[in-house]
Amino acid sequence: MSLLIYGTITSIILALYTVGFSLTYGISGLANFAHGALYILTGYSVFSFLNQLGLPYFLSAPLSVVIIGFLGFVLYWGLLLRVRGVPLAELIVTFAAGVAILELLMWKGFYGIQYSLPLFVRGGVKLGGVAVDYQRLFVVGTGMVLVVLLYLFVHYTKIGLAFRGMAQNERTALSVGIESDWIGSLSLAVGSALAAVAAVVVLPLGMMESAIGYEVLIYALAVAIIGGLESTPGMIVGSFIVGFGQVATARYIGPKWMIIVPLAAIIFVLVIRPSGLFGKFKELEERI
Amino acid sequence: MVRGGQKVYRKHVRGGDCMRKRIFLMVLCIGIIMSFVITSSPLVFGQTKPAQPAKPAPAAKPEPAKPAQPAKPIIIGVPTSLYTPFGRNGLKAVNLAVEEVNAKGGVLVGKEKRPFKVVVTDTRDGEPATPTHDALMAYEKLILEQKPHAVLVAPFRSEALIASMDLVAKYKIPQLGTIAQTPAFQRQFKTDPEKYKYLFRVTTDATVPGMYLSRALDLLKKDFKLDSIYILYQDTLWAQAFAGVVRKHGQETGWKEVGYDAYAAGASDFSPGLTKAKEGKAQVIAMMWDVPLGAGIFAKQYVAMQVPSLLIGFIPPIAAPEAVKTVGPEVEYSLSVEFPVGASLPLKKLPKTGEFLSKFKKKYGTLPEAPAVNSSAYDSVFILAQAIERAGSLDADKLVAALEQTDYKGVSGRIRINKEQHTAIFGDKDPNETGVAVVFQWQKDKMGNLVRVPIYPDFVAEGKILLPPWMK
Repeated sequence: MSLLIYGTITSIILALYTVGFSLTYGISGLANFAHGALYILTGYSVFSFLNQLGLPYFLSAPLSVVIIGFLGFVLYWGLLLRVRGVPLAELIVTFAAGVAILELLMWKGFYGIQYSLPLFVRGGVKLGGVAVDYQRLFVVGTGMVLVVLLYLFVHYTKIGLAFRGMAQNERTALSVGIESDWIGSLSLAVGSALAAVAAVVVLPLGMMESAIGYEVLIYALAVAIIGGLESTPGMIVGSFIVGFGQVATARYIGPKWMIIVPLAAIIFVLVIRPSGLFGKFKELEERI
Repeated sequence: MVRGGQKVYRKHVRGGDCMRKRIFLMVLCIGIIMSFVITSSPLVFGQTKPAQPAKPAPAAKPEPAKPAQPAKPIIIGVPTSLYTPFGRNGLKAVNLAVEEVNAKGGVLVGKEKRPFKVVVTDTRDGEPATPTHDALMAYEKLILEQKPHAVLVAPFRSEALIASMDLVAKYKIPQLGTIAQTPAFQRQFKTDPEKYKYLFRVTTDATVPGMYLSRALDLLKKDFKLDSIYILYQDTLWAQAFAGVVRKHGQETGWKEVGYDAYAAGASDFSPGLTKAKEGKAQVIAMMWDVPLGAGIFAKQYVAMQVPSLLIGFIPPIAAPEAVKTVGPEVEYSLSVEFPVGASLPLKKLPKTGEFLSKFKKKYGTLPEAPAVNSSAYDSVFILAQAIERAGSLDADKLVAALEQTDYKGVSGRIRINKEQHTAIFGDKDPNETGVAVVFQWQKDKMGNLVRVPIYPDFVAEGKILLPPWMK
């Protein structure tokens, strides 16, 4: 029972890591390798608002989400616009931006046990005899709400429909007046904001350090690649595969091998089925 | 994806959008400036700790107290990982000791008194995924550019320490290691004592806290009849050795082993292990970990999962002075080993520990955050000073011979060197004979505040182990 519950929680955490990355790529074809850096930057932003400015949690968290979303927007117009259309250059630029953010945090000395976000609510409940703290329940709730909200957003709002139009066919979207750079920048902003939301709910479970940025990026990549880079259902399935894969590895092989699961999964999927389990963009070999 | 040329077409198609673009560019500039201000401003991202970590490039450290020192300084190199609290606090402890030495006029070298001068490089070997080669390059850069007469503290990660032994032997620079704990150091030393004679360790190795933890397990068995244990350790050299000692002792003294698991140093989820401990009804969880991130996550997960086991071992966030603030009141009853004494816990029965820690707090505004090895870093400066005065020279071979004669009573106990392996001798019987460590437990004092109470060895104990009410 513990394995089931904690495996599910781990999987939803992975889904939260990935949803922003997957959304951005699905809409604009932009692999945002600064995703992990923006995630951890959110944590430090909340920490600063709480401890330096003395703002309450319910203000610090949303403010940080907005700021990080805006940073994603600025990243697009400031850095990515010049290299749009060249996937490798986009990847390098976002990766460089991510590394710059993480190394800046290291250089400024943002590490130590004091860098930790408080839990929203202390305490927990027992589910099937297994103790689960309220924060983890909040993570699960946030994950589920986020998926529902995203569905409603992309199906019932103008911007969401524009996102879907861009994702289906950029030229056709252009021809009906959907401007690709604006939508691309908005998708990066929304993706970054989603990373920030994930940070706000997940980071209180542990400590903060810039190394987490690299870890989140690897997990987001693994889950997105397994599930299919443009597919939301694929992303959810991918997160459960990696989450339960890690838990099972720890249980039956050894905990020190857990860290290999997402990396092995990336290699395995790229070799067997490069478009991912639910990927729409099929490689030539898969189509034949 | 639309290529660049088609963007020009779109510009013409859009026609007169100049005003909109200007407005947009203004907003963008304001946004960039705002983001920069908010994310980089000291007002928002001010440090919550008083001291800044040292810059990566070698930099001069505090000048001698008497500014007008005409004598050429003795250069002390400190190549270590400033990312870790052990490296940061070790450097602070060295600087503190250097100031004291220099305030007394410096070190007598032959007939001349010369001050110490500290030069630092950040080897980054404590950071996840830093290749050992990078750490060695930083170390070698320090040696070639700064030409230190001796090295203190040394690399943080045991793997980096072992890798650096050939480098140190090549350049023949006396090194007094005060962090890395692996017993592999002794094994490597013994392969060629003449080659590696420049290397010393003046702190514990992992077998010492292992021994102390084993004694704590004996007390738990004797006083409370506890007998089931889950051991979880970081998959690095020092922790493997530490856990190995505890495991062996547990097997020899009848402890039932619920599990014995290694986790990667970068692990961020310990729920499988905590689940195993809980399902296996482990009465004690022994953990050995030094990476702050993982230790902090473990501590929070342990609390969140309400695992009904007594926590024992070396988990820095739980053992640190600020543990109650960062982890919470759930640290109560946890047992930690601090090695050697004086690293962060002042002991009433060993006044030198209190003196060092109050000097540290006075200078830096806070106690050391890491419950290990800081006192060794402090002692190492005086050990080096005495060795230089005995040798009457900075010649490396003479210094090595003098260091082998070390007999220094410092914060960490009496430090003498085992000449066959160039390590300090530690025990648990008498601080006037050997270096010593301490096991303490978080307990509530009469006012209801959580404080760290030393419980072993007897010569420093201020209380007894208390069993949590949920284990009675």
